[in-house]
Amino acid sequence: MGSSMDEKVVAVIMVGGPTKGTRFRPLSLNIPKPLFPIAGQPMVHHPISACKRIPNLAQIYLVGFYEEREFALYVSAISNELKVPVRYLREDKPHGSAGGLYHFRNLIMEDDPSHIFLLNCDVCCSFPLPEMLEAHRKYGGIGTLLVIKVSPESASQFGELVADPVTNELLHYTEKPETFVSDRINCGVYVFTPDIFTAIREVSSQTKDTGNSATLRRVSSVEALQPATRNSTDFVRLDQDILSPLAGKKQLYTYETKDFWEQIKSPGMSLRCSELYLSQFRLTSPQVLASGDGTKSAIVIGDVFIHPSAKVHPTAKIGPNVSISANARVGPGVRLISCIILDDVEIMENAVVTNAIVGWKSSIGRWSRVQACSSLKSLTFKCFCLVSLNNHEPGSILCRSQAEGVYNSKLGVTILGDSVAVEDEVVVISSIVLPNKTLNVSVQDEIIL
Amino acid sequence: MKALILVGGFGTRLRPLTLSFPKPLVDFANKPMILHQIEALKAVGVDEVVLAINYQPEVMLNFLKDFEAKLEIKITCSQETEPMGTAGPLALARDKLVDGSGEPFFVLNSDVISEYPLREMIEFHKAHGGEASIMVTKVDEPSKYGVVVMEETTGKVEKFVEKPKLYVGNKINAGIYLLNPSVLDKIELRPTSIEKETFPKIAAAQGLYAMVLPGFWMDIGQPKDYITGLRLYLDSLRKKSPGKLTTGAHIVGNVLVDETAKIGEGCLIGPDVAIGPGCVVESGVRLSRCTVMRGVRIKKHACVSSSIIGWHSTVGQWARIENMTILGEDVHVGDEIYTNGGVVLPHKEIKSNILKPEIVM
Repeated sequence: MGSSMDEKVVAVIMVGGPTKGTRFRPLSLNIPKPLFPIAGQPMVHHPISACKRIPNLAQIYLVGFYEEREFALYVSAISNELKVPVRYLREDKPHGSAGGLYHFRNLIMEDDPSHIFLLNCDVCCSFPLPEMLEAHRKYGGIGTLLVIKVSPESASQFGELVADPVTNELLHYTEKPETFVSDRINCGVYVFTPDIFTAIREVSSQTKDTGNSATLRRVSSVEALQPATRNSTDFVRLDQDILSPLAGKKQLYTYETKDFWEQIKSPGMSLRCSELYLSQFRLTSPQVLASGDGTKSAIVIGDVFIHPSAKVHPTAKIGPNVSISANARVGPGVRLISCIILDDVEIMENAVVTNAIVGWKSSIGRWSRVQACSSLKSLTFKCFCLVSLNNHEPGSILCRSQAEGVYNSKLGVTILGDSVAVEDEVVVISSIVLPNKTLNVSVQDEIIL
Repeated sequence: MKALILVGGFGTRLRPLTLSFPKPLVDFANKPMILHQIEALKAVGVDEVVLAINYQPEVMLNFLKDFEAKLEIKITCSQETEPMGTAGPLALARDKLVDGSGEPFFVLNSDVISEYPLREMIEFHKAHGGEASIMVTKVDEPSKYGVVVMEETTGKVEKFVEKPKLYVGNKINAGIYLLNPSVLDKIELRPTSIEKETFPKIAAAQGLYAMVLPGFWMDIGQPKDYITGLRLYLDSLRKKSPGKLTTGAHIVGNVLVDETAKIGEGCLIGPDVAIGPGCVVESGVRLSRCTVMRGVRIKKHACVSSSIIGWHSTVGQWARIENMTILGEDVHVGDEIYTNGGVVLPHKEIKSNILKPEIVM
């Protein structure tokens, strides 16, 4: 591939679909996860606006298996706003991360792009895409992965890889290994040349020939009951089926980022990622953030986003790390710390909300208190990163919830679904409340269905 | 004759089942809850049923077209834009309920399951000549509810007492009313409570009479009562139309199995079990006191008791499901898994044991 500057680039953002991502409940019960607001913008907005910085970007495709109508409004609005064509492509059934890309190859190749970016919508990072593209051109392979160094203990949750320190070639890749392989992990952001389609086709035809999956695994009855797509030839996963086999063959390279990186898998993470993006705005576009000293407008501490249509009383104190969405009303004497307040929420006088996500149209009564852990101290990110209960990092502030069940390890942030009413003087601690509930007694460490 | 069914809100107490369907369409004894009431109304000559709803009308209307055709009864919706309480919806649906004939109309509460002795209620209403009749039912713990204080012989209602601290009576409002059209004149078009505002007015004018509901009564708006309700319902079915229950060597007690369901060899089913359409129960399965909804597959040697298995779920081999486990739609419990009171939201796989009652999102 030549390095001519008028070669076009296409970006593909995988957004998933409704039956996946149950970890994002209850927020995903009424809105597709990719549209959930992080730092004042829908989650998918962040990779989309990062794509805008790629030179010669021709088109952005969002690929997923949500219904088209769920994305129709958003896609036309964002295309207008950012002046770049964005289109949602619906998979008829899950094809896997590589299969999805392959399925739409004709559309993707319509603009005759020299390079194709593939991003996962639930990745939160600085998206150094132009830099990745330049590095990829120099390496001359068929693909370059964005990688980051993490702590050895947390690496096993991701795809671990080994790269040549001089050439940056991808030497070895393995997904969620049981033993330690490397502390460098796959960020879920890739750039490919169109040769990737050939590589994917070769893999699917190999599976056809051998007739069964390369590794022998006990298939549980639950898996065997899955629709045939999982075992068929057009379900191709990027990590295990493409990256692993191609590692070490001088085809794939890595580009390391030293900035932040998180995956937005759970509602608690959305709060952490909101914080990261808000602090990024401070550097790239500080005019987006709110400010105030209590005279004409509320006191603002740290990085705070307040939608222009929201009304915040001057005696309120907001921040750090707060996002307030459209038409929300924050009353006198309210204190908000580390929270996401969604559209049309009403917070009445003297209430306190910290480490929480308050869903659309909810109301928080006077003197009520909505919080996560028992201390009001702002939590460090180590707390939010906890996925398994086995992560004991010395020195991290221990404010995990007390829940013992394997499934409840996400109770680090209080979440109120849509239209939840918290009555006056009620306290809600480390709880999750599903939509349309009214709390007239205090609750702690509970899930309210 | 007309009828109004108060469907009301979000059915949050019956989650996770109501995350997949609005509450009136959640199946009970292999039939959508609301169909039990509509059929009972049709049987006494009601030709139009109005549903007072405020949630997911599109989903409801689709189903209703089906019922309308099959039952040959007209079904319409009256949609509340804000919650109207227990009397407001009547005023809202006024035009549909009053047809000039002067006939009384029924009002039913959609959460309630009973034998619906509506013909007897019509007779009772004609006999006393008052403006309104309500069904009351006897309960063990009246202070949990609103107690209706009435004259034992005539049934004339003296007053309502909400959650009384001292014993005033043991009959509570069963949520089934037969009202003359003139009652609508007493209800303003605003959120109002029928027990706190409307009925006391009518009782003061000596126009309200109560009939003790014969047979069983259950508010099945939450899972525990749903399971008890099934037992009462099947009991009543045994007395009234035992032919509908399933019999066989592998059946114990009252069991209702849809004709399209398949049951394997060596199973023991019952008592108090309902198995819905298209279900597959493989061999060696033990089911007791549970509801198995449409399309569920229960694999070999599994054991399910006192639980509700939601639509299209699967229960793995040798799995044990008990103690008020509620599986939402499309939940798959792995082989050999034990769940004790797990409440599982739709579209989940359960691959590890749930040792004590827990909500799985």
